[in-house]
Amino acid sequence: MKISFPYMGTVLVYKKLLQLLGHEVIIPPRPTKRTIDLGVKYSPEFACFPFKVIMGTYIEACEMGVDTIVSSGGFGPCRAGFYGEIHRRILKSLGYDIDLIILDQPLQDKNFLKKVKFLKGNNSWLDVIKAVKFTYRLIQEIDRFEKEIYRLMPYETEPGQAKKAWNSIQAEFDQAIDQAGLERAKERSLDILKSIKVHEIPEKDKIRIGIVGEIYVVMEPSINMDMEELLCKLGCEVERSQYLSEWVDHNLLPNIFKKSRDAMFIEKGKPYIGRAIGGHAQQSVGAIVDFKDRNFDGIIHLMPFACLPELISQSIIPRISKEHNIPVLTLAIDEQTGQTNALTRIEAFIDLVRNKKASVNIA
Amino acid sequence: MSKVFLGIDVGSVSTNVIALDHNYELLFNYYARTSGQPIESIKTGLEKFHSQYPDLIVAGVGTTGSGRQLAGVMVGADVVKNEITAHAVATTHFHPEVRTIFEIGGQDSKIILLKDGIVVDFAMNTVCAAGTGSFLDHQAERMKIPIEKFGEMALKSKNEVRIAGRCTVFAESDMIAKQQYGFTKEDIINGLCQALVRNYINNVGRGKKLEPPFAFQGGVAANVGIRAAFEKEIKHKVIIPKYFGVMGAIGAAILAREKIEKSQEKTTFRGFGALQTEFVPKSFTCNGCSNSCEVIRVTAGGKTIAVWGDRCGTWKEKMKQSLSEAI
Ligand code: SF4
Ligand code: SF4
Repeated sequence: MKISFPYMGTVLVYKKLLQLLGHEVIIPPRPTKRTIDLGVKYSPEFACFPFKVIMGTYIEACEMGVDTIVSSGGFGPCRAGFYGEIHRRILKSLGYDIDLIILDQPLQDKNFLKKVKFLKGNNSWLDVIKAVKFTYRLIQEIDRFEKEIYRLMPYETEPGQAKKAWNSIQAEFDQAIDQAGLERAKERSLDILKSIKVHEIPEKDKIRIGIVGEIYVVMEPSINMDMEELLCKLGCEVERSQYLSEWVDHNLLPNIFKKSRDAMFIEKGKPYIGRAIGGHAQQSVGAIVDFKDRNFDGIIHLMPFACLPELISQSIIPRISKEHNIPVLTLAIDEQTGQTNALTRIEAFIDLVRNKKASVNIA
Repeated sequence: MSKVFLGIDVGSVSTNVIALDHNYELLFNYYARTSGQPIESIKTGLEKFHSQYPDLIVAGVGTTGSGRQLAGVMVGADVVKNEITAHAVATTHFHPEVRTIFEIGGQDSKIILLKDGIVVDFAMNTVCAAGTGSFLDHQAERMKIPIEKFGEMALKSKNEVRIAGRCTVFAESDMIAKQQYGFTKEDIINGLCQALVRNYINNVGRGKKLEPPFAFQGGVAANVGIRAAFEKEIKHKVIIPKYFGVMGAIGAAILAREKIEKSQEKTTFRGFGALQTEFVPKSFTCNGCSNSCEVIRVTAGGKTIAVWGDRCGTWKEKMKQSLSEAI
């Protein structure tokens, strides 16, 4: 069995989990123009942009000989719920008769256990629990380091340093297979982090930007113009509304022990979107409020083309922006993204945020 | 000897090279159609300036527009700035009270909202031609009327004609229909001006609160018919800045001046002699991976001095290495 998954964010964690369970894993290629072209070509025209890119990724994975793909499902009224099935049918029509295992929230998916059993293979339940626990810690660590990287990158003395450091950190964690390895990777990564030389910038001149929006376009740099890096290059610290560990917290773990960040976003977004409308619209609006509460200076809202939930959040954002006095720039992400005109708007937006902050500093 | 600051605005349709004197007055203005040859246009503009004012010292240069990066490396700009910020800077310099800027150029259009001289919101249209100068050019050509006369003719209209259509194609077919009904050319042109302004405000300014005082700039601001249509649509007087056609370039020059005066450093302007160096932009498709990036590489005197478009950064890295080896 050759197993693969959609490409989103720091993929080494998905690989890790599946490998620990003894599967032969094929990492799909990072989405490129070809991936997108393939996806656009074989997807229904009305499908949202993430659907198309993931379609392309699946096709490329199939070309590499994959026979099983594991993915997460969608929930709520957003069309994502049907997507697994449509992906499977399209792949079949292309001659790739593969297994597509969609893991939904455990409490809502009647077949969850069956699917997990399939992935469990010949491992004992104890081994499975161990593997899951380990991977969970791994994601948490990696996410913590990633956040640090994009806090430092805007101030690096030598361009490219932080990016290199981030690659080495991922390589360190890639080597870890047990708790001791994880600790070692953590220590080394801390050293790597310390080796990044940064300019000292007075607190009042620091610009912090939050990225909110639908999870796929927020998390996958290859399709969002490398938004985090781009903003860092313009001198801003960046944080996203979504990280993998938080997604797991919210969707896969029962929320008995602590409230997930997502749950907090939904709470803060209540006055604007009171009920689940699918996708991540509630989180998007709540995250804006939260970033403002934490003194961020501006928000980039990423909206996949043809995404209904984010279309709704987009229509509410001007009000949030006004009531909470925080500038927001919405960018629609599709196969055209990355052209000069999007860049012009981002640059102008950062100028706006900077000047606003400077005028407040003076006053 | 007096000092000047240069501003260069390279758009997809036209290139402007301007010089501002010490009192922020426009000393020199060169306009050319870019016609896919931005480097040539910049060169000619700068050479013209130099031969006209050989004694003036260039104390700083700023570039803007979609070709700002290319122009920036070519001349050694002190400031490379996006056109939204550049326009806003220029307008607030001459009219600090302005709260809303309408800018309509040949290929795109924008609305910029300001408060206390600071940009608070903006919108830009680059996809729909119905709200840009090229739409007018096209219609003028179709009706065989010189575009310079377009505005005046609109003012002579006696009857109100409503040209429908949110986009170029519909507007055009509706116009042809109205012509067949027997409306005069003047009426039709006037209706067209109003349709353009209506489309522009509805599309670009959608959902935005447009507050006076208003300024209207960009090449299309030369058209008195459009000016009148604006005042009619928003029911308010509209300020036309005296250098309305080159505000982007002026903004770039002002920003260069601010930067130099603040840092007290010397300009990075390469000088006019450097124009003799041959700048060659070349684009090629990288086949390093299936991204197939369209990479643009600019060489000066055979050496690569700038690279864009490589998504992974390999080509930029290669350039850096070869440059550091050369030193
Ligand atoms: S949230 Fe939007 S982009 Fe994501 S699956 Fe739903 S419709 Fe598509
Ligand atoms: S420039 Fe980099 S990302 Fe683009 S095609 Fe070449 S190798 Fe791929």
